[in-house]
Amino acid sequence: MASVNYKIAFVHLTFKIKQTMIAMLGVVFGISMYVFMNSFMSGINDLQVTLAFSNTAHIRIYNDIPPDHTNLIQTVVKGNPVIRVHNGRVIKYTEGIKSPAPIIKWLTGQDEVTGIEPQVNSNVFFRNGGNKVNGKLSGIDVENENKFFKIADFMVSGRWNDLKFQPEGIIMGSILAKSLSINIGNNVNLLTNDGVSKNYKLIGTFQTGETAIDNSKAYVNINSSRQLLGKNQDYVTDIQVNIKNYRQTWPIIGRLAPVIPYKVESWETANEGMLSASKLRDIIAMAVSLTILMVAGFGIFNIMNMTINEKVREIAILKAIGFSGGDVTVIFLFQALVIGFIGGILGLLFGYVVCLLIGLIPFKIEAENHLPFAYHFADFYMAFCFGLLITLFAGYLPARKAARIDPVTIIRG
Amino acid sequence: MENNIVLTASHISKYFQQPDPFQVLKDISFEVHTGEFLCLTGKSGSGKSTLLYVLSTMDTDYRGELSLKGEKLTGRSINQLAAFRNEHIGFVFQFHYLLPEFSVLDNIMLPALKLKKKSRPEIEDKAYQHLQLLGMEDQALKPASRLSGGQQQRVAIARALINDPSIIMGDEPTGNLDSKNTSIVFDIFKQLSADNGQTIITVTHDEDFARRSDRVIELNDGQLL
Ligand SMILES: Nc1ncnc2c1ncn2[C@@H]1O[C@H](COP(=O)(O)OP(=O)(O)O)[C@@H](O)[C@H]1O
Ligand SMILES: [Mg+2]
Repeated sequence: MASVNYKIAFVHLTFKIKQTMIAMLGVVFGISMYVFMNSFMSGINDLQVTLAFSNTAHIRIYNDIPPDHTNLIQTVVKGNPVIRVHNGRVIKYTEGIKSPAPIIKWLTGQDEVTGIEPQVNSNVFFRNGGNKVNGKLSGIDVENENKFFKIADFMVSGRWNDLKFQPEGIIMGSILAKSLSINIGNNVNLLTNDGVSKNYKLIGTFQTGETAIDNSKAYVNINSSRQLLGKNQDYVTDIQVNIKNYRQTWPIIGRLAPVIPYKVESWETANEGMLSASKLRDIIAMAVSLTILMVAGFGIFNIMNMTINEKVREIAILKAIGFSGGDVTVIFLFQALVIGFIGGILGLLFGYVVCLLIGLIPFKIEAENHLPFAYHFADFYMAFCFGLLITLFAGYLPARKAARIDPVTIIRG
Repeated sequence: MENNIVLTASHISKYFQQPDPFQVLKDISFEVHTGEFLCLTGKSGSGKSTLLYVLSTMDTDYRGELSLKGEKLTGRSINQLAAFRNEHIGFVFQFHYLLPEFSVLDNIMLPALKLKKKSRPEIEDKAYQHLQLLGMEDQALKPASRLSGGQQQRVAIARALINDPSIIMGDEPTGNLDSKNTSIVFDIFKQLSADNGQTIITVTHDEDFARRSDRVIELNDGQLL
């Protein structure tokens, strides 16, 4: 048997259906705004992560610049002696990863690891006659690299797989090729830091949409880059690793980093700037949508207050015939709850539809043709909870006021 | 039955602080027997309504002591008093005070639905019986706001009766009614006290009404005469 309080609340809600609808509309609007803002921000954030993964793997292992050796003596000599070192020099610094085989073997044995890509990267000068451009040369395993970064999808001329069989072939970013004024089939000269120079033939160009890459990066076979640098068959500078869940890089890093003398870096560390921008966006989305929800809450507060002012007599009668203050609170709080609940569900639906519609508008950013939206359960869940919380709060104050109405003063007239 | 006391008021005093401090009720003491039909009369402004609200437990801001059905109610919490009213006291106000959004039937059933001592069908049955008694069974499903004043007052009486309260209180329940409706209400009250042993305490200005009741007490300037 439903309690009589709910019956009364129901009668109140349905008797002035227009007022109820207006209060509900506020919630619907607030919550759909929340869903829209957050889904939009999530869409942008997710797009950025995807873009980040178009040239970084989840984990990168490389030989970092040597640690700070400017004050070596102090690490050995205790106390506070006066020490002066002039023009200290690092006498030996090995480049690249000396023995990648055991590391790769260890990585292969890990459950989480889904892909391993050894690379030989170096800074080179690209030259074509008088044109000279500084850039990055990546020596890669053609098939494996494509599995990681899907470069074949970004090719604007030539074919990615052709690189496999052309040790003298090179694939460049489209802007880089343009600034060197070279076309497919033309030769380009590469000059290393050590002064070695060698000719390659352009067999393809790619365009990722990220200018910093398109204007500086080029790919060759891993073996021909070893050759160019004069290194042995084992030599790698980076080992890129992909894992099952890219948000869970730390367990692997925690196990690997202490036992090898190389830097083991998560994509999150490498993209700190991007991630803090994501966080800022999330905060803005949250602030804006909470403000809107708050305004909606204020609307409910007003309407509830109005309802209660209209109903003082009835509240007094209810109390006279034996309803307690608690009953009266329940009656009005339940109305707020129903408004919040139904308004919340409609708001989620409406917000989703708005996202879908706005997602249809053509808009070109990076590799996307439409505004990006991502639908996360957490966003919808939070929208609903916040909505309910705010309606409850907005309903609670008027309900308390109703509960405190003194029947005698009202009935006395 | 004569010695069965249902209400004891002893040394009830009440002050209003606003607009000027003054004493509305001055040391009022009296008793009411079970099944008595008691009328409270007095000039306008003599404190009848004020006294009735104290007796009804709605007003707790007074001095002295009030007992109903042998229970001392002075000092109890507001919620305890609400529960007591719900079960033991029926109210009829001067201005009918029905809930306009509810049907006649719902209005009558509300106190019983709140009390939760009976099932819904039982309560509905009972509400219909009362409506029948008051000659209003054909109005049961109408919204309360559509009734005439006399009809509304009868519905208010039916509502007051739904929980079989020991005491029924009225503040000028016939004040707005014509003589025909007044005599209907009087007959119902008379019947309730005589046949059911329910106690009636009602404020009235109607001298004829008061004369035909069991006992009349008169207030003058906040004192019992
Ligand atoms: N809330 C109040 N504040 C101050 N004075 C009041 C209030 N209610 C009633 N009074 C005064 O108390 C006196 C008694 O009022 P009331 O009990 O309503 O008289 P009655 O019902 O006999 O006409 C009157 O003088 C009235 O003006
Ligand atoms: Mg009065």
